[in-house]
Amino acid sequence: MDILKIRDAKDVEQAVQAAIAAEQPLEVVGHGTKRAVGQPMATNAVLDLSALNGVTSYEPNELILTVEAGAPMADIKSLIDSKNQEFDFEPMDTSALLGTASLSGTIGGTIAAGLAGPRRIKSGGARDHLLGVAAVSGFGESFKAGGKVVKNVTGYDLCKLIAGSWGTLAVMTEVTLKVMPKAEHEVTLVLHGLDDVTATRAMSAALGSSFDVSGAAHLPQSAFRGATGVLAGLGSQGAVTLLRLEGIGASVVHRANSLTAALVSFGKADRCEDEASQAAWVAIRDVTPFAASGPLGAWPVWRIVCPPASGGAFGRELARETGGDVIYDWGGGLIWAALPPSADAHAGLLRSKLAAIDGHATLIRGSDPLRRAIDVFHPHSEGVAALNRRVKSSFDPRDIFNRGRMTRA
Amino acid sequence: MSIMMPVPDQAILDRRSSIVAALREIVPGEGVIDSAAEMQPYESDGLTAYRQPPMVVVLPDTTEQVSRVLRYCHDNGIKVVPRGAGTSLSGGALPLADGVLLGMGKFKRIRDIDYENRTVITEPGVTNLAISQAVEHEGFYYAPDPSSQIACTIGGNIGENSGGVHCLKYGMTTNNVLGCEIILINGEVLRIGSKAPEQAGYDLMGIITGSEGLLGVVTEVTVRILKKPETARALMIGFPQVEASGECVARVIGAGIIPGAMEIMDKPAIHAAEAFVHAGYPLEVEALLICELDGPEVEVDELIARVEKIAKDCGATTLQISNSEKERLLFWSGRKAAFPAVGRISPDYLCMDGTIPRGKLPQALTRIRELSQKYGLGVANVFHAGDGNLHPLILYDANKPGEMDKAEAFGADILRACVEFGGVLTGEHGVGVEKRDLMPEMFSDIDLAQQQRIKCAFDPQGLLNPGKVFPTLHRCAELGRVHVHGGKLAFPDLPRF
Repeated sequence: MDILKIRDAKDVEQAVQAAIAAEQPLEVVGHGTKRAVGQPMATNAVLDLSALNGVTSYEPNELILTVEAGAPMADIKSLIDSKNQEFDFEPMDTSALLGTASLSGTIGGTIAAGLAGPRRIKSGGARDHLLGVAAVSGFGESFKAGGKVVKNVTGYDLCKLIAGSWGTLAVMTEVTLKVMPKAEHEVTLVLHGLDDVTATRAMSAALGSSFDVSGAAHLPQSAFRGATGVLAGLGSQGAVTLLRLEGIGASVVHRANSLTAALVSFGKADRCEDEASQAAWVAIRDVTPFAASGPLGAWPVWRIVCPPASGGAFGRELARETGGDVIYDWGGGLIWAALPPSADAHAGLLRSKLAAIDGHATLIRGSDPLRRAIDVFHPHSEGVAALNRRVKSSFDPRDIFNRGRMTRA
Repeated sequence: MSIMMPVPDQAILDRRSSIVAALREIVPGEGVIDSAAEMQPYESDGLTAYRQPPMVVVLPDTTEQVSRVLRYCHDNGIKVVPRGAGTSLSGGALPLADGVLLGMGKFKRIRDIDYENRTVITEPGVTNLAISQAVEHEGFYYAPDPSSQIACTIGGNIGENSGGVHCLKYGMTTNNVLGCEIILINGEVLRIGSKAPEQAGYDLMGIITGSEGLLGVVTEVTVRILKKPETARALMIGFPQVEASGECVARVIGAGIIPGAMEIMDKPAIHAAEAFVHAGYPLEVEALLICELDGPEVEVDELIARVEKIAKDCGATTLQISNSEKERLLFWSGRKAAFPAVGRISPDYLCMDGTIPRGKLPQALTRIRELSQKYGLGVANVFHAGDGNLHPLILYDANKPGEMDKAEAFGADILRACVEFGGVLTGEHGVGVEKRDLMPEMFSDIDLAQQQRIKCAFDPQGLLNPGKVFPTLHRCAELGRVHVHGGKLAFPDLPRF
């Protein structure tokens, strides 16, 4: 396989122009940590952006960071951490779940996947934090969209389309992101022993309060089979429901007390603070109970997004019918499901049930043959599917980038 | 009118009576307006300097009617300009002489309120404020709050990606909408997103929001609602120099504090507002910063103390902290009335809307002052300082020959300066017709072509709201052409493995 190692943004434009001329589809790769997500691609050349890894500018007082797309997440995180800042959308690190090497992935890959963590319910996803982008389209042209300020409605918001497009629309060369100050303090309230439906109600009550909950997750007892570390400790007495509060010390204490009182009908809440709390939310963010190296490592894993209040009932039934395990985040709006292997990884069952609640499911972990056999991304209605195709063509008419990744041939 | 709009199609104008009759078939009764007198209210939007009577006004009240109107226009090559309440400040709803003006004002129903999922499903003609009012008895609200919120509609908010004073902390429209029903120009009805926190596939909701009515017509919107903070208090801080107020804003943000809102007014704006609403503003200061903190009382108290310290370090000469809800609203009353207040001291004014990096505030203000002298026109400044969004109000008298042109040139220079400082042409009002011809200041031909290709994916004939946003109209066939650069390897020196 041809691997084109890019040195600078100009190389990208040339490489894409050559690929267009040669009608050669390209697989666009940073560290390649998420290559196993999506339909197996019909590409035979790799565009490797990992050397495009500079920091263009970082203005902590402006809360703005501009970096090249191949910049490693680990480096960027330690850079902004040095100014006590972070990405508010809490991007997921997929390495545990997908069993990829120690590489942390790149910012480009993070934006392209758009996998936001627990704080999405409060702060939005990758799409809400990507302010500007420079990229090369499938026309072989370098273009930019958005800007380097937080408030901007000048022209179409192409950043929204590019975030979460899994590299199928354009090759990002540089991204501008919003960063936020880290919270001074965090406390997680822990409710014990709730069933999935009751837990969803508790999370809805918490998220519908004025206490500014920044994480709402539920782990049924069975999810602890593969839990380690802090998470395993939390689950020693069965199911737990976790509610995170972040902010300045006095405020967090006040909100923790108030929320504990408001949720008293769901039981007595324990607390877990600072480092322990942080570790628990990292584990939930990265879905470590379903880690590739854990007891469920061989099972396919689905990422299901649905209206939060429907989450508990849906997940409970899914686990019961398939014998699988589920973990709830986003107050029930995000369900991670590890399901026992079957011919279609229960795609048919899952999606027919999801239709009733307006949800959708993406297979995040699955073998190559499985990913050939089913729709990895949720199928759209005919009209929306056609519009998605036209959007793809408007960026990449020759289908050069990551051909076949998001739609099954 | 100093801006060129697409040349009206005489063949369409010649068919006006048959078009009106066909539209009456689709929308019976009073839903089709074709008399000059009755169409007059639709001649302009909030950018009143630009006026144009439409060919005909259609006011449908069902999704099916919208779909049929659009399909009819599509099949007959007729242009369509969608309109909500007509409060756009950039001319987004300016009619076309040969176009159908599609008013969505009859879509006034809130369809679903769901506190468990924290969502509201509403028709597009519902006002921004009405959404908050519908849920306030349960302590909820819809966060984006453009200053026209009493009148502007959620459909228009989607079109413009509207902001407001609280978007520093709570985001703009795009960060607060989950889904919609949208009708394409060919009449096709699509559902995008749902009450789920994320949609599947490409983020179509993200591209529809802020597309200024060029991609489709929204007939239903799903928004997320939030519980109101326990309390909110405001500081009103006066500074002897505008630069010091800008520095204070930068330091507050730099200290990791994200206030609910942070607004600056300069001396002319302070005086105009005070004369209008008597909010008790200090008149001797050069700049007034209103900073609102919201959250639990203990948090607000703590943050007020921190902001107070920063303000004093920055040389604040007056400082008041609201001690009641009444007082907080009084602090805001002058800021919220700043535009009409300025309207009282000048026969006409032009409201600009550029955004700059926060740290460039002092330079931007100096530049605006220099330009004010150069053009010989007064200017009053109000800013959403927390996010660097400037609203210079250029004072002029349209009855004095040449003054409007001068004001527009002044405004264009301000926006060019915003781009020069690393900012953008518009923070929340949209491009519309007003900033259309300035787009090349910020975007190359290639950048603009890529945006227009998205337009082509939704509306290949360019019938929806043409003449807005893009300075040059290209045919979709031309934009869709791929230029193949030779057949040879164009980068022989690129490392290969």
